[in-house]
Amino acid sequence: MVYIVSWDEFVDRSVQLFKADPESTRYVFKYRHCDGKLVLKVTDNKECLKFKTDQAQEARKMEKLNNIFFTLMARGPDVDLSEVNGKEQMETQPVKKGRGRKQ
Amino acid sequence: MVLLQLDPFLNELTSMFEKSKEKGSVWVTLKRSSLKSKLQKRKLSAAGESIEYRCLIRATDAKKTISTSVGAKDHQRFQASYATILKAHMTALKKRERKDRKKSTEADKKESTSSTTTKPKKL
Repeated sequence: MVYIVSWDEFVDRSVQLFKADPESTRYVFKYRHCDGKLVLKVTDNKECLKFKTDQAQEARKMEKLNNIFFTLMARGPDVDLSEVNGKEQMETQPVKKGRGRKQ
Repeated sequence: MVLLQLDPFLNELTSMFEKSKEKGSVWVTLKRSSLKSKLQKRKLSAAGESIEYRCLIRATDAKKTISTSVGAKDHQRFQASYATILKAHMTALKKRERKDRKKSTEADKKESTSSTTTKPKKL
């Protein structure tokens, strides 16, 4: 099991892993309240990347990563801009739905 | 494996987190899937149609497992609710390391002393 120390490296490598094989890559997250620990794992059944933490600030970063994965998985691995801008960079569909964003 | 709709899934996930506060873990798995068998996939790609992918989300607390699938339209809403649930429950994590705390308190002290000295200078 490869535990990665740097958060950014974990994010980059896991996104690369997903883009290389979106069919078999999965993202697992385990939280233990009693120990106060959080473990993240991204694997494509050939390679495995793990990240563990007990810091609240890492949890906030993890939320951003969750958003990235949700977007990648729901929309497809070709979505690049959403990684940079998060929810703001959207295509026409949500604008038509009228979420009330001030533009 | 219980397949639920989005909102019941979120409710169940919340109760799982609450149950596991004293002991136990909560696992959440995210995976992309088209929810179709290989045969169906071949037929679709042969016919020239695009396969619609969904994001499969599974959650377990080692006693029971719940799952849901999120499409491209729902993922925004689900993402927001999911983030709220996580923030509300992951309260056991440490805020900062002790070394950082010491540094931050020292920095705060320095900032407070420097700010009091600069204010009269500006006036």
